[in-house]
Amino acid sequence: MMSKIVRTQANFLYPLIMIFGFYIVAHGHLTPGGGFQGGAVIATGVALIAVAYSYKNVKTWIKKTRLTATEAIGLLTFIITALLGISRSFFYNWLANTGLLFGQPVPYGINPGYLNTAGTLPIMNFAVGIEVLGGLGVIIMYYLHYIKEVSKNAV
Amino acid sequence: MRKLLLCTALIVVLAAFLYVSINPADFGYSTGDHLVFGHPRYVDMDDYFIHNGQNQTGANNIVTSIVFDYRGFDTLGEASVLFTAVLAVGMVLRALRRDAK
Amino acid sequence: MIFESLLQILLLAGLIISAYLAIRYKDLLACAVALGVFSFLLSLEFYILQAPDVAIAEAGIGAGLTTAIFILAIKGTSRWEVEE
Repeated sequence: MMSKIVRTQANFLYPLIMIFGFYIVAHGHLTPGGGFQGGAVIATGVALIAVAYSYKNVKTWIKKTRLTATEAIGLLTFIITALLGISRSFFYNWLANTGLLFGQPVPYGINPGYLNTAGTLPIMNFAVGIEVLGGLGVIIMYYLHYIKEVSKNAV
Repeated sequence: MRKLLLCTALIVVLAAFLYVSINPADFGYSTGDHLVFGHPRYVDMDDYFIHNGQNQTGANNIVTSIVFDYRGFDTLGEASVLFTAVLAVGMVLRALRRDAK
Repeated sequence: MIFESLLQILLLAGLIISAYLAIRYKDLLACAVALGVFSFLLSLEFYILQAPDVAIAEAGIGAGLTTAIFILAIKGTSRWEVEE
């Protein structure tokens, strides 16, 4: 556990980092960024909490099995979304310009940007985002677990 | 001796890069004018993506439409690389933990 | 134009200085922080070169996650570099 200054700063910054990461993931098809970048930013928030607090507290808040399940679900969602357009080709954008979910046609040229566009791209952004979040988070949790084991054996 | 060798290699590489950036015509990059940053030599594929990307995928961000749609296999490989890396970290740390006991 | 060139020269000088400091320090925690500064300056350079995607990835992974993982690794091992 770090000092009180670090914990106060982490408590203040944690929600801001999470909101910024989810913003990057959700607006991946409109603004710079995307699933990978947004997932990395969210994982940075998780790492901030994991560094600032002791492992005994962090273990009760963040479960390793849940992060692994999140990672697997993200990768499966990505592959299944790509596979659903197999009638044309793998990775065919089968939702774009259909008028269904995320299917609003977008005018050519400069426009203000509409969230309900781009077909399968927001789904894939979200899938890759939670996959990166789970992967990088579970690496940090493995590190914390191993450090605790080593220090217990040394003492 | 090793330091001298290292310095010589660095200076040779730096001189090669400077020579290519000053005389690009000698290496087949451009006939005539210089290469300018932001103005690539061949732009046919860029023009195709810029003119058809919004109609075909409906995304304003053309980088995302390339990463997740036109070049989707690249992202699939990247995601599976991350998955494999997490598997490897888990296996290594678990084996080390068993040794420590 | 002159302002942009000046900013790029400053950023590249900062990159070289922070990379040299990361090699030179004996305190590994200071090395991790110097590497974080290096990644942050590199992300600013990417942003100036009009690649905001790469800039966000570099700032998130390089300056945030890698520093945290280095700090965790230093916590598990020793803080000072040992001459073998």
